[in-house]
Amino acid sequence: MSMKHLFRISGILLKNNSILTYNPISSQRPLHLALVKFKQKEEKAVVIRDPFDDVKDKTKQSYLQMINIFINRDNVYRKGHVEFIYSALKHMHEFGVQRDLEVYKALIDVLPKGKFLPTSIIQAEFMHYPKQQQCIIDLLSQMEENSVLPDLDMEDQLVAIFGRRGFPVRRYWRMMYWMPKWKYASPFPLPDPMPTDTYELAKLAIERISNVDPTNQVTIYHTADIKDSVDDTWIISAQSATQKKLLSESDLKEPVFIEGPFTVFLRGNYINYFMLRGKPKPQDDSFEDPDKVENISVNFFSSKPPVKSIVKVPSVYEQEDGVIYSLCATGTSSKDSLLSWIRHLELDGNPTLGTLPVVFTLKSQIKEITVENKSAGGEEHKKIDDS
Amino acid sequence: MNNISLFRNCCLKILNRSRSLHTTNKLSLFWEKDDRGGYPSTLPQQGIKEKMRSGLAEMKEEIKLWCHEMKENLESDPQILFRPEEVDVAWRFKNPESLEKWIATCDSDYNEGFSNCTLARNMYGNAVFSGNINLRVPKDGRVYRAGYCNIKTKPFRRSFKRETYLNWIGYNTLVMKIRGDGRTYLLNIGARGYYDVAWLDQYHYQLYTRGGPYWQIAKIPFSKFYFSSKGRIQDDQHPLTLNKISSFGISAQDRHGGRFNLEIDYIGLEYDPKHVEEFAYEMYKVDKGIVSV
Repeated sequence: MSMKHLFRISGILLKNNSILTYNPISSQRPLHLALVKFKQKEEKAVVIRDPFDDVKDKTKQSYLQMINIFINRDNVYRKGHVEFIYSALKHMHEFGVQRDLEVYKALIDVLPKGKFLPTSIIQAEFMHYPKQQQCIIDLLSQMEENSVLPDLDMEDQLVAIFGRRGFPVRRYWRMMYWMPKWKYASPFPLPDPMPTDTYELAKLAIERISNVDPTNQVTIYHTADIKDSVDDTWIISAQSATQKKLLSESDLKEPVFIEGPFTVFLRGNYINYFMLRGKPKPQDDSFEDPDKVENISVNFFSSKPPVKSIVKVPSVYEQEDGVIYSLCATGTSSKDSLLSWIRHLELDGNPTLGTLPVVFTLKSQIKEITVENKSAGGEEHKKIDDS
Repeated sequence: MNNISLFRNCCLKILNRSRSLHTTNKLSLFWEKDDRGGYPSTLPQQGIKEKMRSGLAEMKEEIKLWCHEMKENLESDPQILFRPEEVDVAWRFKNPESLEKWIATCDSDYNEGFSNCTLARNMYGNAVFSGNINLRVPKDGRVYRAGYCNIKTKPFRRSFKRETYLNWIGYNTLVMKIRGDGRTYLLNIGARGYYDVAWLDQYHYQLYTRGGPYWQIAKIPFSKFYFSSKGRIQDDQHPLTLNKISSFGISAQDRHGGRFNLEIDYIGLEYDPKHVEEFAYEMYKVDKGIVSV
């Protein structure tokens, strides 16, 4: 590119005042900058004043009040609905109203009824008032993301605003078809809303894990009941009759391990739990091929079944990585509380634990954390300190 | 007559007028460049020379595979008996080569997010799909939702790299032995069609995991899988065509960020004679022009 050419380009750019936005040229030509010095305009930063930022008391009441202020500000020539709804959607998490249907309905009510109704099929199919329709579609998708199920009143609202052929109405119908289908589809249901208490969460987690066998019993112990315990906290322990039997049958020379912490995830909450685990039982995988007819032994005089090796089906607790004897979650996740747990188990029908060598193999780094509560929006960590 | 010829002339004039310079963007609403939806491949790409060299080396294996296929054709002994309540394993991870059929991707591979994930084998020969879902949206003004990790089978091939489909026509249930962390995962079954509008068709169902140390066997009938295209559930639903399975995948994309872990022993198929449902979703007729628009 010749010098003259460069010059010309820069001249054009200058004339159009677009030099500031034309990055590829302005940033990568030191030669050009040396030749012609532009006097760059002073940058004007545009600050968007967001009324939701200014609110001190961020509650549902103040949020609804903000919507009311907007609606009542100009009842006849209301304008800027779309911008207002978008900014309101953005601030939902701060106000803690992202799961509140009433708030979403109040936001939809910001749009005037009857103004955006299409008058012909062409208008209807070509998305009459597209910005407004897209805005409400985004609102509905935010509802879906927060798993808020709309109600029938919302349909009336949307139909009054956009008509029966409006795209938000179609999206509403889709949501009303699919969302109730998934709402209770999980075979491991959780309460809604989730409890915020650590104890309740840990109880939920242990109940859910031990649900694998209906004979499992979830017991709540207190460390204070054990003499010489340092901590004063709760222990949620799960053990079934099968596990008790397995533990009583275990080899007294082989140690059992207290392992953990492992985590289980319950809708935004990580909960730590510990396992009492022994060495895996040797499992004989070799099986006799029933189609093999090389050596048929004909049992004329014996009533015994011809199959030689009958293997007991292993229970869910006997896995290839070990035999799980019990599970627990404690309030402090400390070594001391786990020791109390073992003492409690020993008193509660596992006398073998008194003679079995018990080895602690704990990962140290998460020692002081019981529940790490990480919600989707903010980084909220709940830590309960040991000691 | 005159009018018609005038109209014809006008039409011809308009059609003949060629535009050398396009000032408007091309509207490629339905046109697909490739069956990856325009996303680049995350696998290492080879140059032409390397391709030639490695292709020659692969020839031996391909011919072997082709001979095997021919033999199978001659034997013509297809599976006609599907034993009820017996699981036929489709994927298992007992040997290290089994991971080569799979590929793990996440949004950070395409600069659309900050998640990361891996698919590996552990000491017991189970696949472990783990990683971290990050919901942070990159500030590029284009992406407005982020946070997914995904594993998927590589395209199924016959000899000489010819594409093929899996045929699961005799089965009606998907069986998975898994050990999850309590999250909900999404199962994706690819049903790639012939034309480009159908390239990104998939069928989905959720995989709910219990969490904890115990193995869990998830049985999901194929009738429950719902139809979607490009990740959007479609209004016109049809049951999955079981003889045209183009891929299988698992996504971790529940809207809670954080680390996740899913251990898979096997993914199998089963014929359950007690399950007679063809499709779990209503197929009634709806008003014209309301759905699928």
